[in-house]
Amino acid sequence: MKHLAPLRMRVEKDVITRVARVLVGKGVLNVSVGQQVTPPEIIGMATISAGFRTLDLSTLLSVSPQEVEKLLVKKIGQRIYKGELLAFKKGWLIGGKKVLTSPTDGVLDFLNNKTGELKIAFLPKKVNLPAGVYGIVEVVDKERGQVIIRTQVTRIYGMFGSGRSRDGILHILGKKDGLISKSAIQTEYDDCVLVGGSLFFKDAISACISAGVNGIITGGIDAKDYKGMAGGRLVFPKKLDNDIGTSIVVCEGFGSVPIGTDIFEILSGYEGKFVFIDGNKAVISLPSPLSSSLVKTKNTKLPELQNNDLILDVGQIKGDLELKSGLKVRVVGNSYLGEQGKLVAVNDSLTLLPSGARDYLVTVETARRKIQVPVANLEIMV
Amino acid sequence: MPRLTGLFDSFDNLDQISMEAIASWLKPVPQLNQLEDYLANKILYPQALPLTEPDMQIDLSILREALRMNGPKPGFQKNNALLGDNPFLNVTLRKILIPVKFLNFVPDLMSLTLVFIDALLLSREKKDYFQDLWTIVLTDNIDEIVGSILLPQFDGSGGVMNLELQSKNYEIRQGNLMLVPCPKDRCEIAYKLQKGKLLGKKENAFEIYGGKLGLVIDGRSA
Repeated sequence: MKHLAPLRMRVEKDVITRVARVLVGKGVLNVSVGQQVTPPEIIGMATISAGFRTLDLSTLLSVSPQEVEKLLVKKIGQRIYKGELLAFKKGWLIGGKKVLTSPTDGVLDFLNNKTGELKIAFLPKKVNLPAGVYGIVEVVDKERGQVIIRTQVTRIYGMFGSGRSRDGILHILGKKDGLISKSAIQTEYDDCVLVGGSLFFKDAISACISAGVNGIITGGIDAKDYKGMAGGRLVFPKKLDNDIGTSIVVCEGFGSVPIGTDIFEILSGYEGKFVFIDGNKAVISLPSPLSSSLVKTKNTKLPELQNNDLILDVGQIKGDLELKSGLKVRVVGNSYLGEQGKLVAVNDSLTLLPSGARDYLVTVETARRKIQVPVANLEIMV
Repeated sequence: MPRLTGLFDSFDNLDQISMEAIASWLKPVPQLNQLEDYLANKILYPQALPLTEPDMQIDLSILREALRMNGPKPGFQKNNALLGDNPFLNVTLRKILIPVKFLNFVPDLMSLTLVFIDALLLSREKKDYFQDLWTIVLTDNIDEIVGSILLPQFDGSGGVMNLELQSKNYEIRQGNLMLVPCPKDRCEIAYKLQKGKLLGKKENAFEIYGGKLGLVIDGRSA
């Protein structure tokens, strides 16, 4: 008897695709269509000037709002740098001395004498845009500040996610089955894509947003946290895109589920390298680190772009396939979720499960044990 | 063999079910966040079967709440006799409709019927005596009648129903539920109630549908 199981694309190696590199603000692009680029090559430069920070000096200095101005060391309109003395209050014998330094580079923009709040406008900053990949420039869209590059990547398909397309340096936080809490997130992970273990707690996700982490890759996530970032719904595949300030790709499912070995091994090889993450499409693109990939990239033609929009064709389920011994399979459902292994045997007769349901059992040999699961709880891995 | 679809394929709003409602059917009550992850994985991998007995109980609780959620909505035209207020009930013909494909996931017909009774009939407002009797139908290309449900109305505590079926006597006390086998197409029953009524009478005799499940007599109150 034939037994079918869904065929799930998890990893797609050496795919020629297009990636978008976008300026973070207004700026210039200095590449042209057809140009060959390498990862460190600067293809554009932007200036970021927006933004300010407000400090409640009245509270921080423990004085009334009217007293704040005379305690400021710098005057309104003056430039100040991070760590430089901002305000000083003399103390008495029993204490009360306060020293405040600037938390950021900027200009003292405005002091509200009624509230004691100081607004520091950020200094304009120039940000370079490196190509990040070996590839051929296909589109230079000066209006959108976007360059589309044809390149070779290894694609990883997660189960679901959230957040727009972002990029950054990949950093692995620990083992594939670790639990990631707030304390694991450091400020130096700014602009990084972090690879966690089996679960990112809610406070860790919040810490990532605060630290400016661009992406999170995890095995599992709490359903409540995911609902919070996906508009309160659990609909697969997703119908609406959303973004909470960082992009998340969940590779396995809900709850604490270690990242599958197939994905974790590939990600481990990309530690410290530049990657792309698209949470809404649950796709991670790992650009080829080899200059030789340019040969295949040059010789591969892709379908024409429509309106310079990059639309990723994502289809994780590729139909059904007959189960046969030796196939690589993955267990789904609520028992043994995410375990991977080789299919060893398929039973000929129906088995009554402890739950009372009946199905044909298959034996799967994982890295550390043999398990028996129903056919319905299997996916064939590609 | 074609691959099975899921038990919950008929529902597209499982994520709107409250965890407290699911937990109310379970003993011991699991942690709500674990229950939420379980349901989310059920939505993500709808084809997967429960392996353990506790997992099956969670699936049945989810099904109860999914069935309830598809009940009457505000603004529903209650006076439209052609439409039932739930796709799994035919109110006009007093039929409870169980898709036969559900048996692929819950092979125990009695457990499945109980889920439908809990979800659709137990707390249902009874507008007439005829709502004390429902026919259980397995729906597919050809429908199959598998039995009947009797819902005696006890007034006060300590009610008892004495039932005679095929020369055998059964006693159903208030708060209890009993399955009485009756594999024939039609079954003659006679009953007598103390502190209660069935179909508006304290005692009566009539014919009802039997089948492979039989008669479910539910003396529980909502």
